[in-house]
Amino acid sequence: MSVTATRNTRAGGRARSRMEKRYRRLLALYPKDHRREHAEEMVGVLLAADGDAQVRAPKPVAWARRFGQHTADSADLIGGALRIRGRMALNRLRQTRWLSLTVRDQRWSDALAVVSVVAPLLLLVAALTEFRIPQAVASSITGHPHWGLSATLGLADLPMAAGAPGVTLLVFLRLRRLAGLGALATAVGQIAAGAVPAFAGYADPAVAFTVLLSCTAAVALLLSPGPDRGLALLTRSGAALVGTGALILGGFSVGGDVWFGSEPPRFGGSGGKVAGLPADLLIAAVLVGVAAACLRAPVSRRVLALLAVPVIPYAFLWQEKLAADLFGQARDGSAIIPSSIPLLYLPPLLLASLILTGTWLARRRAGGRNRQVGSATSGPRSPVSA
Amino acid sequence: MQEPTFLILTALAAGAQHGYGIMTDVARISDGRVRLRAGTLYAALDRLKADGLVTGDKEEIVDGRLRRYYRITDEGTAELAAEVRRLRANAAVAASRLGLAGGAV
Repeated sequence: MSVTATRNTRAGGRARSRMEKRYRRLLALYPKDHRREHAEEMVGVLLAADGDAQVRAPKPVAWARRFGQHTADSADLIGGALRIRGRMALNRLRQTRWLSLTVRDQRWSDALAVVSVVAPLLLLVAALTEFRIPQAVASSITGHPHWGLSATLGLADLPMAAGAPGVTLLVFLRLRRLAGLGALATAVGQIAAGAVPAFAGYADPAVAFTVLLSCTAAVALLLSPGPDRGLALLTRSGAALVGTGALILGGFSVGGDVWFGSEPPRFGGSGGKVAGLPADLLIAAVLVGVAAACLRAPVSRRVLALLAVPVIPYAFLWQEKLAADLFGQARDGSAIIPSSIPLLYLPPLLLASLILTGTWLARRRAGGRNRQVGSATSGPRSPVSA
Repeated sequence: MQEPTFLILTALAAGAQHGYGIMTDVARISDGRVRLRAGTLYAALDRLKADGLVTGDKEEIVDGRLRRYYRITDEGTAELAAEVRRLRANAAVAASRLGLAGGAV
């Protein structure tokens, strides 16, 4: 071997050693167990790939190619470590057994599972409409001048702006309990935002709706088997009902925003109202239709009862809108029943209390019946499902 | 199923292979279009092992370095076969709509 060849071999060995050190440093980003299992193997693969990538080319070209190869490999190692660590963290969160409370009554448990899918979806729709996203989309399609995107976010908007998409994301990642806590934090955040002077106020039906919806989502996510079970229960017609409900909420908000706007809602020179009396009646008719469809099965009846808790304040919004459409006046002067904190929050709280009392009484009755059957037969006592 | 996963399972369908073997095989199967790097390959193998689609096979030392072989499991074979059927059905529909005779694309 010539002196030059020997020198090249030594230089190549030193370069490989430097590279190996660099790869090993990057491998330190991987979890310990993964490192123990695969580190040596990965170094071998990286060096083998590097050896194969060596090409006979002028020095600057070869150097540039090797630099590119090392940079890409290093970025890929970092990406791999992040993927593995992310997956491990996700699995750990999914397997956590904290807050493992569930409702024992099968039908209520199933209803809560369905609500754990529907409520976060409605919360996201509510947030989107609150920040005028559908309005902006509608504006870009129709060219309507009064539907602009709300560009400024105040402190009071933060709970919904962060909470609604956050809860939906956690539900999508199947992190039920964390999503439940997120929904609870969204509700608490909105209540705390009441202290901000610019806040619309608790007496606003839309605020009451989102606060109560966040609470309902939190209860459903924390006390039910979760969205997986809910999705399994949602039939095609059930999904259609959910979609219709979400669309109505979105459409209602779009119409409501037009109506709440200071200038009369008109399309260019046509002068037609976007959301007038026919729209009000259509909203009411579809909502009644959705409710009637839900009355057919025991689980969907319970879903309806649970969702009625946050939707009650919307009835106030609707009657205000109806009054304005009928009398053509501004909102505050025309409401048949003006919104107030007791009117907005007491009926939902009453309904929630009724649900709780009803289930408690049903459980007691079932327990009593079981005891009677048990003493009559003197056999082993059957488990009480309620 | 994502393309790298599909290609890794395809590479292993022919028999057990070590990491570098999988990388070169995937490049060959995809006609050089997909070039897996070590980080992506081992993240994918980690996931496939956790899902029970791939398992570790024999180990050997070559040039002082560890080589671990991986092989596809029965579950992995079934999953790959299902994916092949799905892709074939989609390709047949696409070919017929494009008016390609015999589905030759």
